[in-house]
Amino acid sequence: MTDQIYWNPVLETLPQEKIRQLQLKKFKKIFKWTYERSKFHRQIYDEAGLKPEDIRSFEDIRRIPRVEKSMMRDIQRKDPFPYGDALCVPLEEVAVFRQTSGTTGQPVYQPDTWQDWEWWAECWSYILWAQGYRPKDRVFIPFGYNIFVAFWAGHYAAEKVGCEVIPGGVLDTKARILKIQELQATAMMGTPTYILGMAETAQMKMEIDPSELTIDKITCAGECGASIPSTKRRLEKAWGAKVYDHAGATEIGAWSFECQDQPGGLHVNDAMFLVEIADVETGEIIEESGRRGKMIITALDRQAQPCVRFDSKDVIEWSSDPCSCGRTSRLIKGGVVGRADDITKVKGVLLAPSAIEEVVHGVDGLGDEYEVIVDRVGHTDRIKLKVEVLPEAQDQCQLVECELADQLRLKTNLRYDIEICGCETLPRYEVKAKRFKDLREKSKED
Amino acid sequence: MPQFDLNEIDSKIQMMKRTAEELAQAGENFPAIARNIVRISAGIKMLEINISDVVELETPD
Repeated sequence: MTDQIYWNPVLETLPQEKIRQLQLKKFKKIFKWTYERSKFHRQIYDEAGLKPEDIRSFEDIRRIPRVEKSMMRDIQRKDPFPYGDALCVPLEEVAVFRQTSGTTGQPVYQPDTWQDWEWWAECWSYILWAQGYRPKDRVFIPFGYNIFVAFWAGHYAAEKVGCEVIPGGVLDTKARILKIQELQATAMMGTPTYILGMAETAQMKMEIDPSELTIDKITCAGECGASIPSTKRRLEKAWGAKVYDHAGATEIGAWSFECQDQPGGLHVNDAMFLVEIADVETGEIIEESGRRGKMIITALDRQAQPCVRFDSKDVIEWSSDPCSCGRTSRLIKGGVVGRADDITKVKGVLLAPSAIEEVVHGVDGLGDEYEVIVDRVGHTDRIKLKVEVLPEAQDQCQLVECELADQLRLKTNLRYDIEICGCETLPRYEVKAKRFKDLREKSKED
Repeated sequence: MPQFDLNEIDSKIQMMKRTAEELAQAGENFPAIARNIVRISAGIKMLEINISDVVELETPD
């Protein structure tokens, strides 16, 4: 069994034509389920003049109104407490409460039934198996499990796959590193920011080389770092391990993953999710590769609070290349490159924060942390970039700064005010990093 | 597609589902049965997602 490279050798090799049939069939079911049980959804579908029997094709699906996170926030003020009227099951069937991280505003509550929770673990099992997790693995999870969904499902999926799981919750970073060493853990999950931070702590404060520990694979989530080539290189070099990306969200599920072949993108779990890409300006659905848009996603099997045509604002694009692993699912080129909310015009040029990270992590001599502050002086935008120079490169500060400025100009078409900060002076993060600050709206308000 | 007898696997899944439903009825006043059946049924549903939904593709709506 452990030689089998697919978690589901049937679904993961199904021809695209069959996958599309399966998606349409499942979409009709989840749409009917949602229409019949969620007052919130039924109202928006009725306003659009759509009933379950009207959905017969993918063209019909495109007529269905999208749901945005702000709408989910509003419904939570309604009954039944605390979820509101998108709840599709009796309250007593809700087995688990989670909430979104609140990065983009007031957190959204997410109820799940036991079946939904089993489904979360199933989606993650596809991810872990594709990344080489097997029953022989001892998986360390250096994360303080709490009301956020992060790594709970990874934990349960690792158990389902047959791994031994070490929950590293309340330990501090040093204790986590020592526990990995003591128990010879072979795999780990975390945000790329924190996994890099752990390596820094091991090297600078404990005189431990993390690449000499026994970790051979790391699954990253929560940020796009593991799909940014220079960040992935740093992570893999620091830990001497393969680093894989995965994208998911509390209100959606674990919808995509990188496989062991690391194809430079993410596989969509097409049998469980319908992913559409919409042009940011026109809303037109993009079918071809090479055009970025924002993701509209449907979780095809989630019941308690369904996710139907949810506008995730994740910016993605289709890849034209099939993956050498043989999975027939569609690939997202380069993973999630950012959020439509974060991609902003600076000095008239579109800027994605992930492009800055790609440059910073590609310059030798710079530390892993950085901070970007955009503000406006008079009518002119200004970008300040704070970076740390590593102790071993302190005598080459000017060279490093010149290299950084050149690469930034080349890759982002913008000039930056670069500020070199002392080692370990920039904020460190355990969950999602907040490195991009746009003060322009604030200055306008002031 | 790899060679698996999906119809045969699906018929066993459906048998498990029927058994779970019968046990759920028997467990109406028996929490230890009822609550364990909720978990077992969730597992059976995952088997349906993995196998039965593909088999069902060949049947009309």
